[in-house]
Amino acid sequence: MTAAGFVAALLADTGDEEWPARVPDRLDSVLASLPLPARAGVHTAVAALDAYAVLRAGRRLAALCADERESLLRSLAARPGLAPLFDVLKVPVMLAAGTERMPALPAPAPAPEDPPLDCTPARDWPTRSTADVVVVGSGAGGAVAARTFARAGLSVVVLEEGEHHSTASFGRRAPLDRFTELYRDGGATLALGRPPLLLPVGRAVGGTTVVNSGTCYRTPDRVLTRWSRRFGFALAEGLPPRLDEIERTLRVATQPLDVLGNNGLLALAGAERLGWRAGPLRRNAPGCKGSCQCVVGCPTGAKQSVQLSVLPDACAAGARIVTGARVRRILLDHDRPGAPRAAGVRVRRPDGSELEILSPLVVTAAGALQTPPLLRRSGLGGHPRLGRNLSVHPATSVAGRFAQPVTAWRGVLQSAGVEELHDRGILIEATASPPGMGSFVLPGLGQELRRELEESERLATLGAMIADRPSGRVRGRDRTLVSYDLDPRDGDRLTTAVRSMGRLLFAAGAEEVLTGVPSVPRARSAGELDELLTRVGARDLHLSAFHPTGTVAAGADARLAPTDPEGRLRGARGVLVADGSVLPSCPEVNPQLSIMAAALAIAETWLEREGGGRTG
Amino acid sequence: MRATEFTETMLGTVRLDAEPRERRLRLDLRADADTVLRPHRTTMARLTGRARIAGLADDTGAKGELEVSPLARRRIRYRLTFTADGRVLTLDGWKSVTPRRPVASMTVLPFTLYEGDTRVGAGVLRFPLLTGLLPFLLSFRFPRRDTQAELLAPRWNGAPGRTEVWYTTLTDPATGTGIWLHHELTAPADGSEPTAHGWVAAFPREGEVRHARFGPVPWTRPEHGFTSDDVTVTAGQLTGSADDFHWKLTERPQDPPLFTFPRWAWRRPLLPAAQMLPAARAAYDGEFAYGDRTLTLQGAPGASARIYGHGNAQRWTWLHADLGDGDVLEVVAAVSTRPGLRRLPPLVFLRLRHRGRTWPRRAERSAVGWLGIGRFRAGFGLPRWTVTGRTVLRRIRVEVDQPAERTLVLEYRDPDGARAVCRNSETADARVVLERWWGRWRPEASWVLDRTAHAEAGDR
Repeated sequence: MTAAGFVAALLADTGDEEWPARVPDRLDSVLASLPLPARAGVHTAVAALDAYAVLRAGRRLAALCADERESLLRSLAARPGLAPLFDVLKVPVMLAAGTERMPALPAPAPAPEDPPLDCTPARDWPTRSTADVVVVGSGAGGAVAARTFARAGLSVVVLEEGEHHSTASFGRRAPLDRFTELYRDGGATLALGRPPLLLPVGRAVGGTTVVNSGTCYRTPDRVLTRWSRRFGFALAEGLPPRLDEIERTLRVATQPLDVLGNNGLLALAGAERLGWRAGPLRRNAPGCKGSCQCVVGCPTGAKQSVQLSVLPDACAAGARIVTGARVRRILLDHDRPGAPRAAGVRVRRPDGSELEILSPLVVTAAGALQTPPLLRRSGLGGHPRLGRNLSVHPATSVAGRFAQPVTAWRGVLQSAGVEELHDRGILIEATASPPGMGSFVLPGLGQELRRELEESERLATLGAMIADRPSGRVRGRDRTLVSYDLDPRDGDRLTTAVRSMGRLLFAAGAEEVLTGVPSVPRARSAGELDELLTRVGARDLHLSAFHPTGTVAAGADARLAPTDPEGRLRGARGVLVADGSVLPSCPEVNPQLSIMAAALAIAETWLEREGGGRTG
Repeated sequence: MRATEFTETMLGTVRLDAEPRERRLRLDLRADADTVLRPHRTTMARLTGRARIAGLADDTGAKGELEVSPLARRRIRYRLTFTADGRVLTLDGWKSVTPRRPVASMTVLPFTLYEGDTRVGAGVLRFPLLTGLLPFLLSFRFPRRDTQAELLAPRWNGAPGRTEVWYTTLTDPATGTGIWLHHELTAPADGSEPTAHGWVAAFPREGEVRHARFGPVPWTRPEHGFTSDDVTVTAGQLTGSADDFHWKLTERPQDPPLFTFPRWAWRRPLLPAAQMLPAARAAYDGEFAYGDRTLTLQGAPGASARIYGHGNAQRWTWLHADLGDGDVLEVVAAVSTRPGLRRLPPLVFLRLRHRGRTWPRRAERSAVGWLGIGRFRAGFGLPRWTVTGRTVLRRIRVEVDQPAERTLVLEYRDPDGARAVCRNSETADARVVLERWWGRWRPEASWVLDRTAHAEAGDR
């Protein structure tokens, strides 16, 4: 219990309720999953607050009474410079508080049996083995590539750093416990820059598809045209039929309204009153029960993440998955004329020992944040554009307070899409989340925050993501370091998005809109919101980012694109890139279908070129 | 081109998937690469040897391949197939070389065991540095392995006063006819243009020995083998005609080369002349016609040989005897024409390839012994000549009979114009007795060749 006093101050714990006392313990477990710098930062900030309390009141926070803590916090809150710090500190505390405050879960119905996967933990995998194809990563791209190669009769090994989690295991545990396991760095992957962006990515068999919201947008035609015409990504022209195939595999359909939830219905109602284009999203979750837990693994098995849809097919065709396997490097043969040739991979097991798999073809599908460091570790990081061209979908969210309870966490997590502004690069999606896990941060400290928490049942949340200019970069060899500088145009788009979401919420009947900006937390009308937003810039917004793409972009120009138009890494032979990093630019929509179709195109094209026989 | 050979022993354990405990494993391997092992390149080698798994396998016929690439690929990969308890198992593993742990990564070999494509076990082998390093290092050999084509290419470098010979002798098993094809390049000592000439001879079992000469014609400096008008010698092909002789033969080498003289004497022409066989034994197919007879050869045993030097010896004898079962005996005994050397006793070069090994181990041994002591001896004469010799534990006696009626007498001419007389028989008789000392001399092997020995005796 490192921060009992701080938690008590933040949540204005007076001891009249039981749950706040459990939060510090829960917070400890959250912190334990964070990377060391983040953990150290939180500890340092808490220690500084304690020191301030000792200086001001002679005692540490934990020893103060509720009123003393409140006055201390108020004195700190009066300094605007500290507001971003409190915002950051609030995030893990709200995660812990949300879980502890949450009413006990209804007993989950017996989870359906998952389709079988051939998973072997790395500790049981032989130290030396061979395969025709090694696929690094089991997410959207890796799963599709593995299935394609396995169906072509090649022996395929899929290497996954995370573990396999079954639907039944999701049903058994609290969302927060799953959250810390399913995300890389406990969900605290940060893109450094002004403003910094939280960039959560999944790490499990199934990759980020295990923890995404299940929203399935086809790649817009204008994006496909741009990819093929401007970037020379020739495969883009053949994506539409492959998108069809992926949609069939994932059983994509428009989400029925019955389980949509109040959050989505309010968004649709607001859009209807404004006359905006909107509708329930197309999702890969047939039979969704509205558990609102997509981001921590669907407990009912409705969401067709790749470990339920694509990987079982791959395993049925002979592919094998090794879990807990972090690929250290791609092995290269330098002794032949021309570029070095991939010979396999070296993998680290959780216990630190290493194993090697020889294969003439290595498919990197470790995600846009992990593929560039992997290539650099392997001595393939020579292309000057490798790791650059990072696109994300910067996103922000606002909440609207309604007179009646909304209970946003009952229903579909990401339920309705408002596409009125999509042509301007803004996509609004009604997104609720399990308490504390959303990217929206409640305003206030102490009693104000506690009040907001108590009333959070009346909040509806909307999120907006914008199509950005690629302005990020992935550095590092062993540890990924992401930097991202928001383009001024994208900053304007974000404030426009906040304004539009506010209008939508007011149109739906919200009494008040919470902006998530500490300096201007509330607006009671659309006019007031517009006025408030003139005072803030995009850098004041509380931003997250999703869907990193483009860091090993494909393209015709060898100087600009590290990957050739067919997904083969330049400067090496036998290395395919088949994940989000190969997309030439921002796909402008939730990218899982785009990534999967691109991976399918890349794998099929390789098979056509190489004859599809065993490569020996 | 030089090859690489070395031996390696590795010890370790293997756990079969069906068993709870580990078994001890030992590999005694012999690696054989066709090229010189270069650490910065990738060298592929054949593996042979013995694989032992405690209580399960002891296979002396293990075979496989080795990929040695410690720098280029940072990998030394072993693939070895052996039999264990009636099952054919394949061991596939590699050392992953890293400069951070040079010793461990060069000595530890994790591997996986397969039966067909199915994994049946895994384990780790280690190279025992303390006991294994010295034998490993001492076992390295880089023997020269020339292809037959390389050995058939002309040696002559343009110097005057040289002679170079491609000759082939064989016996038709169907008719017992001995055949002799002699192709010669002569570069006269006076510096005049070199010429190509030669002869062909048939030694029928019954009847008269016949021969015909071809050439001389100007030497056209071919790159491969010998060419003189329509007579050619290339790798695997002998064709030509002379008078009423016509031949078109294909040659299939059956053995590695045999250096009758020391290998260095063939590489560097320090001796007056040297002789060697690109293949110790060869089989011949094709047609050989003379007069009104046509022989259709099928797997006729024989050999081609090469001579390069200054000319013929003062006196010499030669024997090529195919002893059967892959054994072969090649003898050259000669007295040099050089002043001084002429007074020495004949130098005997005797090479017996018996049960896959060549004896004596070094070609110099039979010629000079230890400073002359223990050298092999030749007894010149006709119709019988002999060669005898012994090493520490072995001795040999070779008696060759060249009856006059089965012998062809030809005049040879040296590059300096000197003449010599050669008496050649491709249907000679020979008797070879090999003994081994074990408390006393005990017979080891003996061979009697009836009209199948190829022999020659020359003098001036």
